[in-house]
Amino acid sequence: MISSQELLDRIQKNVGVPWQSQRSDGFSDGVLLGNADTPVSGIVTTFTPTLEVLKQAVASGKNTIICREAPFYSRGERAPMFWRNSPAPPKEMTDNDPVCRAKREFISQNNLVIIRLVENWDARMTDSQLRGLARALGWEHFHTVANRDVDEYHPHNVHFQLPESSLSQLAQSVAQKLKIHGPRVIGRPESRVSKAALTHGLLLVADVERILREPVVDVVIAGDAVEWEAVPYFQDLVTAGRTKGLVLLGQEASEEPGCGEMATWLKGFIGEIPSEWLPAGEPFWTLPQGKETGQ
Amino acid sequence: MNQATLSRRRFCQLASSGLLLAPTLMRAQTPARLTAREVVARIRKNVGVPWRTPTADEFKIGDPDAPITGITTTFMSTLDLLQRSAAAGNNFVITHEPTFWSAADVVSDVRDDALFEHKVDFIQKNKMVVWRFHDHWHARRPDGIFAGWNRAMGWESYSVKGDNPFSIEYLIPETSFEELARQMQVRLKTSSMRLVGDPKLRVSRIANCGHYILQCMPALPKVDVLLVFEGREWEAAEYVRDAIAAGQKKALIQLPHEGGEEAGMDECARWLKTFINEVPIKFMPSSDPFWMPA
Repeated sequence: MISSQELLDRIQKNVGVPWQSQRSDGFSDGVLLGNADTPVSGIVTTFTPTLEVLKQAVASGKNTIICREAPFYSRGERAPMFWRNSPAPPKEMTDNDPVCRAKREFISQNNLVIIRLVENWDARMTDSQLRGLARALGWEHFHTVANRDVDEYHPHNVHFQLPESSLSQLAQSVAQKLKIHGPRVIGRPESRVSKAALTHGLLLVADVERILREPVVDVVIAGDAVEWEAVPYFQDLVTAGRTKGLVLLGQEASEEPGCGEMATWLKGFIGEIPSEWLPAGEPFWTLPQGKETGQ
Repeated sequence: MNQATLSRRRFCQLASSGLLLAPTLMRAQTPARLTAREVVARIRKNVGVPWRTPTADEFKIGDPDAPITGITTTFMSTLDLLQRSAAAGNNFVITHEPTFWSAADVVSDVRDDALFEHKVDFIQKNKMVVWRFHDHWHARRPDGIFAGWNRAMGWESYSVKGDNPFSIEYLIPETSFEELARQMQVRLKTSSMRLVGDPKLRVSRIANCGHYILQCMPALPKVDVLLVFEGREWEAAEYVRDAIAAGQKKALIQLPHEGGEEAGMDECARWLKTFINEVPIKFMPSSDPFWMPA
């Protein structure tokens, strides 16, 4: 049986880009919690290591979690862009917090190892987060690849030519395919849309500017956006008639399918250890909605 | 020199320095009428807290010394809001949140952006002035934003006096979590509320935790329901989800930013009317930016 450190070494060898081990801000890829010498009994990939995912991992005999988010509700005190993140709770606060304590005890009692794999995974030529999301939506056939010199799922090949529908129909179809309650939408529900830009994670104003350089993008899909930045920026774009809609899936919903891609990738060079993708699932539910208001 | 002779480049330099204000030389030769600068002077006199620097509460665009035709208070000075304000005849907009899509209205990031140009052109053609009222409206006691929120919810008498100068904890008549969410959806006119927790959970103690996990952690042991707005998903949502998985009976309501604070700018319009009577004053909601599929 290999150790967590040996697992990380194999990941580094196979990731295909020079390993960035230290970032000047936020968390770094590697072991976040647990002992690097722990023998790996099984691997779970997931977007965020919720207590529920950890329980399921233990129940299936797997002790190693590879994820994107950190276990204690913060992206770290040096995480970039202060205003988009809470200042990290101080250690005394998390040490005494009943939820953090319960989770920490569960992790140590079960000898779990939590490994973060984000920057190095995202630095690959193939944006597996994007590919996973496109596959989950069944949109592979609609992909319009602008730059054929690079990988089909290069991070900048984000455009999809969908069958024309209303923005409302598109949002409904996306919600059904990803099995989520709460995609949040900006734009007139009846607007006709067909050219989509598909992204994942947090959408910044600079991202929207780059994506919309491609002419005639009707609708942008993303995980989340800051409500005093890209959200009003997008509202203004719609008011000015420059594009028609924004669909925010949620962080988990937009990033989770890529964690499934990661489990498949791991199997390619770690055959002797069982590995599986355990989606954390959308955290939210919503009330039944009344009439779609839109703008 | 006047606005028309400014090059786009110079114009943007002015904008990025926070000084996108038409030169005072341009002031119309009309009898003294109420100006935006005079309104702000009265606000500073009446707000009841010392003026701080630096502050976000500054003129963002327009000539503060031009006569104003009417005042619109709003949460977010979106292009749509500015158009509605102009159509209603109010050329002075007092906004709680930014106009140019960043916390400090740093326009250097968007100076070459066609949308920036479009928004600036609309504001200038309609001789509008935008001033931000954020820091000091929050600094007022009670906090002007949450005074308005309490009123919108009808919760003034449910607030629990604690260490915090504005009440962030509430004790309401016991109800189910789902019923509480329904009430809040209606009273705050919100269409993108997201929830974590058992709909049937009986709840009576609620804490408003603003945006951050830093406020959620100390509050959760004391209450049944956390309320956050404009928060990142990896903070409160994952925290409360884990609390539930650890066996605690807790729930979370996550609102859009407007749901948490917009009513405070309605409160602001009411307050302004107590010391400004020369021009019409109207609260116009920028409203929940989102809808969700039925």
